Amino acid sequence: MPYTNQEYLPSYEELTVPELEVTSAVFRTAAHHLGKYCDNVCKEFMLCRSEENDPRKCLNEGKAVTRCGFEFFGKVKKHCYAEFNQYMQCVDHSGRLMDFKNCRKTQATFDNCIKEHFGQDRPELGYFSKVRLHKTCRPRPTMAPHIMPERVPDPPSPEELRKPTDKLKNPHFTAVI
Amino acid sequence: MVTYRQDLPPKGGFDPIEFAARGPKRMFNGFTQFGIFLGVTGLAWVGWSYVKEIMRKEELELFDARNAVEPFIYAEKDRAILTHYRRCRDEENKLMKNVKGWETGTLWGEPVYHNVRSRYIKPSLEELVTHMSPEKQHDMIFDKLIR
Repeated sequence: MPYTNQEYLPSYEELTVPELEVTSAVFRTAAHHLGKYCDNVCKEFMLCRSEENDPRKCLNEGKAVTRCGFEFFGKVKKHCYAEFNQYMQCVDHSGRLMDFKNCRKTQATFDNCIKEHFGQDRPELGYFSKVRLHKTCRPRPTMAPHIMPERVPDPPSPEELRKPTDKLKNPHFTAVI
Repeated sequence: MVTYRQDLPPKGGFDPIEFAARGPKRMFNGFTQFGIFLGVTGLAWVGWSYVKEIMRKEELELFDARNAVEPFIYAEKDRAILTHYRRCRDEENKLMKNVKGWETGTLWGEPVYHNVRSRYIKPSLEELVTHMSPEKQHDMIFDKLIR
């Protein structure tokens, strides 16, 4: 382990939160609405992650993301359980890539339910694939100062070297000459 | 009395021998053939442009879905990996507590990395799997989820 005891690693209490224990099919089914519901939180987290390059510093943002996911799935379970399950079954058995193209009917039912209870539309095609700007109040991260070792003294110039020095007084040196 | 008949050439003689090569009969001349080629290619081009647009939209929808889910996966993964680092460090503390002069995260006091600006350093795979059993190490290295 390259981490010494002085370096910061979050404790188990900080790291233990209820996780979203759902399969890929559920994520794939909910993806567009989930992404739009938690848009701001997700953008904040991903910005933090790419700016800091350090998972230790983005724990709170990550927890907010998971909490938002819980909120969304709880609401879906409360209001649109049957529609969601129907759509999820279709997507799960849609094919190798879990395509949406075979499930337009069930998708429309689910979308209507979401529109009714959440008041949000399905985001337009390519919404999550384009560059989206995000305004944050988190300060821009700065690196710790890089403390360099002391500068090595310059070598003597040729003129200095040519001057007669104390070396000539050295008996061994003169003996060699 | 002769009962057989002598073989003789047909009346008017044999046809002249055709020694020159005979090519197939041409249905279209060159201009028509080139026109047909251009027409078919052009039609196929137009049809492919429609199909390509449909395929692009389907792929884009899948990309959207993956991108939307990405933060949730990363949030969970970051927490899991940090828990693992913490567990490895605690294990090393426990293992080496009776060894005199050993400091966790260093080799007898010398740090593993020259990390003046305290950047985040991802430990190597060997360091992550050191405290596991051989079976678990194998699973981790070869990415098997269930044994």
